Amino acid sequence: MSYLLQLLVSGLVVGSIYALAALGFVLIYKASRVINFAHGQFIAVGAFTVYALVVYLKLNVWLAFAAAILFTALVAYLVEKLFLKPLVGQPIISVIMVTIGLASLLDGLIHLTPFGGGNFSLPRFLPEGGVSFLGVSVSYPQLLAVVLTALFLAGFGWFFQRSTLGAAMRAVADDQMAAMSLGVSVEHVFALAWAAAGITAAAAGFIVGTVSGINLESLVAIGLKVFPAVILGGLDSIPGAVVGGIVIGVLENLATGYLDPLVPGGGTADVFPFVVLLLVLWFKPHGLFGTEEIERV
Amino acid sequence: MRNPWAQTGNYKTSYRQDTAIFATYLEMLSLWALIAVLLALPFFLSRPQMFVLDLILVYALAVLGLNITTGYAGLINIGQAAFVGVGAYTAALLAPSLPFWLTVPIGGLAAAVAGGIVGIPSLRIKHLYLAIATLAFQIIFEWTVGHSTLLKQGGAISMPRVEFLGYRVGYKNHYYFWYFVILFVVVVLAFAFRNLLRTRFGRALVAVRDNDRAADAMGMHPGLTKIFAFALGGFFAGIAGGLYAYLSRAVVIEDYMLPVSIKFLAMAIVGGLGSLVGSFLGPAFLVLLDLNMEDLANWLKSLGLSYAGVDIASAMRPLTFGLVIVLFLIFEPRGLANWWRLVRNFFRNWPFKY
Repeated sequence: MSYLLQLLVSGLVVGSIYALAALGFVLIYKASRVINFAHGQFIAVGAFTVYALVVYLKLNVWLAFAAAILFTALVAYLVEKLFLKPLVGQPIISVIMVTIGLASLLDGLIHLTPFGGGNFSLPRFLPEGGVSFLGVSVSYPQLLAVVLTALFLAGFGWFFQRSTLGAAMRAVADDQMAAMSLGVSVEHVFALAWAAAGITAAAAGFIVGTVSGINLESLVAIGLKVFPAVILGGLDSIPGAVVGGIVIGVLENLATGYLDPLVPGGGTADVFPFVVLLLVLWFKPHGLFGTEEIERV
Repeated sequence: MRNPWAQTGNYKTSYRQDTAIFATYLEMLSLWALIAVLLALPFFLSRPQMFVLDLILVYALAVLGLNITTGYAGLINIGQAAFVGVGAYTAALLAPSLPFWLTVPIGGLAAAVAGGIVGIPSLRIKHLYLAIATLAFQIIFEWTVGHSTLLKQGGAISMPRVEFLGYRVGYKNHYYFWYFVILFVVVVLAFAFRNLLRTRFGRALVAVRDNDRAADAMGMHPGLTKIFAFALGGFFAGIAGGLYAYLSRAVVIEDYMLPVSIKFLAMAIVGGLGSLVGSFLGPAFLVLLDLNMEDLANWLKSLGLSYAGVDIASAMRPLTFGLVIVLFLIFEPRGLANWWRLVRNFFRNWPFKY
């Protein structure tokens, strides 16, 4: 029983990373119908910025985190302005391909820094040990991951429900034409959606850095794991992204715990989310909370 | 048609003339000339050059398949390398017991079946979701190969040397022999690709891409058409995989992973989506770019641009790659095939402009 609980808790931690990453992904999709294959690279930009600032410039961790959020948001904003904006109105294939190209481009740029290969870990800034209840021990970094994710989700929830800008973004997601005629700058909202995705990506990267080590490959892999999460939750649903992310994280850990001993070589956590993805696509293609597209001629 | 040799204007009066592959005798002649040049090339090229040429043609086959699924039918396929891999692994498993002219087509059929299975969600959902389904297939394929002892967990499975008409292909003429085999397959499949749009199945692909509701109303089945597109694209990929396995004499999982899929997509985009000429120009461009990348990295190192902890060579590859994709999409979305078209159209009426 406590084994199961332990798996659930660590699944929740991994899931909250996925939830944050998926949130950014869905923000972009909702605003501009772009599927972003470069999301893992954004996460990597955020994580390595924190690391560089803390280790090379000896900055305070939280200050570095804030700076990384700003920097990643800026990168995402510029990416939209430079590469996505010229493609507005082009067929969807071009838009998706450009994000794939961007993923490769950012990969190359990260390889130009010393972070291209090898493992890095943030210096420890939290006390050792952790809290335990019901025979399950939760380390402080794990606790921080869950709390930080909850804070970010609450913050974004407030932003979308209460602020003018958030309302404008929801309006664009709902109906671009109507939003435009009411004076919302759709162009501005697209770029802001990318910037917001950059913020969540940086947060996800920071959390990965506190919970475990960071390396480029595993961060990019998180960018791919976002797909099962958002498909399960529904591509255009923000609550769906959060629920999907957490469920995928938990399922992944359960797979490690219960399926790995049955499979020679183990490593089922890498593939299980994608099996779930295919099953969802076959039986409930619009996910748990996605809007079903009903077409009429 | 007044002049069968040069096209000085549009004299097409019937549907038949419009769908003809060759508008003038000159076009037909130039194709024969091209095939003659390709047949003569091995007599002038060295072994390493032959290998590059073989590689370009094999990639072109995979890109042709991608141009059916992504170019004609508009379904983004991020798992083409996995389909190539299905063909390669099928060929590798059958190679000890069957001759190559059976294993390669069987590999193609296996990849076609895989394509059909991946395409199943298209009965209910549309393009964006399908792209993600192909991504899932790619990752599941990599994992499955990496975990099956039959396939040596992704390690190298060596391919036997082949015999053809009682003649054993050895080290010296390996690339030359396979060049002619590949060239034969390329000509046959390129012909099939070119003719696909003259059949109702091929035109259904384009119709479903452009407007699937209208296609549905006109009696086509959008879901089945998409599955057909995936299966056909998979078949081309599987053939390419079998040939690639024999050509490189070993099957390793690294050749069939996600970055390779993205490479195929880049080749299709750079060449020009849905274009026959582009399916050859794209692979040629990117393979040659890749070959020059090492020189470029060395040159950058000699300029003193490298610093500790950074491997310029491993950075340049994704960097140029991404840059090529992005720049082509922004500045020339119709790819190299469009340049080819412009040049050809200039000479079509030349020197009589009117």
